[in-house]
Amino acid sequence: MSPGLPYVVVKSHALIADLLTPERMRALAEQESLEGFVKQLANTPYGRISIETEGDTSIALEKVFYQKFIERMMAIVDLAPTNIGDFLQSYYYLRFEVVNLKRIIRGKFSGLPTTQIVDSLIPMMPYSAGSYEDLAGTETYEESVRLLDGTPYASLIDSLELCDKYDAIWPVEIALNHLCASVVFKSLERLPKDDRGLVKRIVQAEADVENFLVAAKQRGAREGAHDPEEMFPATYGIGLDKLREAIESEDIRTVIRELDWPYIDILAPLYTGDVALIRSRLRQHICSIARRGRAANDFGFNVIMAYLVFSEIEKDDLVGIGWGITQGIASEDILKYLAIPNFE
Amino acid sequence: MSSTTGIRPTKGFLMEMKRRIGFIERGTEFLKLKRDHLAKELTASIEVLKGRRRLLLENLRMAYRAVTAAYISLGPTEVRSQASSIKSRLELEILPRSVMGVRYPFIKVEKEPQIAGELDITLSEAAEKVLAILDEIIQLAEFEARAERIADELGKTNRKVNALENTIIPGYKQIIKFIEDKLDEESLEELVRMKLIGGALARRRE
Repeated sequence: MSPGLPYVVVKSHALIADLLTPERMRALAEQESLEGFVKQLANTPYGRISIETEGDTSIALEKVFYQKFIERMMAIVDLAPTNIGDFLQSYYYLRFEVVNLKRIIRGKFSGLPTTQIVDSLIPMMPYSAGSYEDLAGTETYEESVRLLDGTPYASLIDSLELCDKYDAIWPVEIALNHLCASVVFKSLERLPKDDRGLVKRIVQAEADVENFLVAAKQRGAREGAHDPEEMFPATYGIGLDKLREAIESEDIRTVIRELDWPYIDILAPLYTGDVALIRSRLRQHICSIARRGRAANDFGFNVIMAYLVFSEIEKDDLVGIGWGITQGIASEDILKYLAIPNFE
Repeated sequence: MSSTTGIRPTKGFLMEMKRRIGFIERGTEFLKLKRDHLAKELTASIEVLKGRRRLLLENLRMAYRAVTAAYISLGPTEVRSQASSIKSRLELEILPRSVMGVRYPFIKVEKEPQIAGELDITLSEAAEKVLAILDEIIQLAEFEARAERIADELGKTNRKVNALENTIIPGYKQIIKFIEDKLDEESLEELVRMKLIGGALARRRE
């Protein structure tokens, strides 16, 4: 039984204080060896972590950070009142499950062995897709998608026609993104009206930036470009007309300059072709949405959500640092693409 | 044991030796020509290689930076998962080619990978950068293999020329000189003998 919202909010405030500061994150990124990174991490709330020495260390580290995040999220879900707990569980599990489903479908599309596909999944129990092993164990990706019949993902089966038309799996991936956003919006109804704004703003910013990046990728494909209506079944802050303009315009700068804030700033790295920087800026923007949400109501749902948002971005940054250190990448090259150390 | 041990100091053998040394000297001249040509080829290759390498290194640095950014931004598992959706992979055929009898591999690109529509734009940018330098990498690899083989062959040819010039030809010359000396000695002895016989016969006639 939940000890009540005030308790979870106070706990979230305390947990936010425990998150890694930009300075600590910078110190972690500046470690020259994996041993140094693990040692430095041991002085944080993550404590001493153990990594499987067999196989790719950066992937083992990624799994550890995902597990830590899921543990944090579940600890909050267990304490939160039912409506908030249910929403958080469906929000995070659904997003992770969508990632897992994409990995299964990609793996099947390219004919990867089942064990390799299962190994690439985020370490979590299936949420509503049934067994991941069963999905990964089919002969073709079409069979995997059809296995989803009877689950909340059943609508994906309709996108198989487009997959067949283009001999590609992007229609399923886009359908999954759309489905994820619409389920999140629907599950928002479990929350009181005043608490919905923060999540809406986050989901919309993510979807808008992803849509624009897909449109930017279609540039130059002219004849091979796909129908924008097929690619963008749902748009929010950046409308279909703007996305169409982004595909067709000679100079993408003019299209970006006409966008509203924050997109004009987030998408600016497209000018120089440093696309990875866009994600870092998007994460920083999400951090600022969460921070503003928390400031607006520091004794409600926004605090819980802010803790989980910061925590997830911390996980993403740590995964990047872990990979960079195992590859011997210079710290300035790692730091450039992180969100927390660059967040003001 | 001397190089002249067991040599038959006959005119026939001398002629055979002279024929052989003539053949060897002609061969040496050819080898010297080959050596000079290979040296010229190698010098030119090294110059080209240096320029190409510098260019490629700069492009590789850019591509590597893009790949690094994609990994940090998306995470290693996601990058691998997306990369696996590229169905059409790079297919190469390696054929033999030859310059001055030096065989080197020639790489023919049978099929270039198609960047899948499923790739995230970050990864797609990195993949495009790698794909753009793929031809350069292949050509450079081919050129390096060619230069390496030419350098190997140049070393071998140089050793052969040195061995011929410093050991084999002087050896033959020594044998020829030895036979010629022996034959001269024999003809001198023969002359003396003839003179002595001629003197004896003249004295007997008197």
